[in-house]
Amino acid sequence: MLELLDSHYNYFAVMLLLGIGLYMLIESRNLVKKVIGMNIFQTGIFLFFITLAFRAGGNPPIIEEGGGPYVSPLPHVLILTAIVVGVSLTAVALALIIRIYTEYGTLDEDKLKQLYYD
Amino acid sequence: MSLSLIEAVLLVFVLGCAIGAAVLRDVLAALMAFAAYSLGISIIWVMLEAPDVGLTEAAVGAGIMTILFILALANTVRPQENGLFEPISVRTIALVGAFVVVMLATVPSLPAVGADGAANPVVSGEVTQYYIENAYADTEVHNAVTAVLAAYRGFDTLGEAVVVFSAGVAALTVLRQEVFA
Repeated sequence: MLELLDSHYNYFAVMLLLGIGLYMLIESRNLVKKVIGMNIFQTGIFLFFITLAFRAGGNPPIIEEGGGPYVSPLPHVLILTAIVVGVSLTAVALALIIRIYTEYGTLDEDKLKQLYYD
Repeated sequence: MSLSLIEAVLLVFVLGCAIGAAVLRDVLAALMAFAAYSLGISIIWVMLEAPDVGLTEAAVGAGIMTILFILALANTVRPQENGLFEPISVRTIALVGAFVVVMLATVPSLPAVGADGAANPVVSGEVTQYYIENAYADTEVHNAVTAVLAAYRGFDTLGEAVVVFSAGVAALTVLRQEVFA
């Protein structure tokens, strides 16, 4: 178990971050904190990709004569795109939250449910 | 590659910040924990030889994202409740714990961190090798990440621009901002 932790440490962090993000998505009553949880879940997946792209002793993929070995550039590109898409998602989610607040005057999930069903 | 001290400290720091964001009751405090988390994880990207991702994460994740959250908080409410921490729900912990255990069961079949050659098909795969061998000759850009982003997968980046544009339109529509009127 400890050997596995020593060689696969980043993957343990990935799974724990996914767990923390999921916990916030389910358990936080405040909608803003739910969005923070979604972002933590997202960065957990980013860590998974970037860890897979890494090789020990590798250099950043800036190609020079005799500069290798390089880490894989493709997951970096995917994650760059995913970060920007994540920010767009957060912006829309927060805009919806502001609208919900102006309509209902609260961001508490339980109170919102009550107001909605009344 | 085995776990070095600085990586262990960084991982403990980001996990601590994430747990802080989860359990702190005050939304602004949770948001500050999340900003520290973003900064910590951008240093992890640099440790994993991904400087482009690290820069983007520090600028966008820790910078713009925090500003967006603060703007949202300024336009809504920061509930004042007693107690520093949220109550912990045992039922949710059990559910999330089961999820994490199932996910952790997949870890032994993943390549070790820093593995190369046949052990890590991402690093030694055909696509990666193609980009590293041909990126400079094809595009004359030294940075292979830029070459893939703007040249090989330029259509993906165009799609990304479409996503950002639609997100801007959606946010303005939801907020009913008549900026073009």
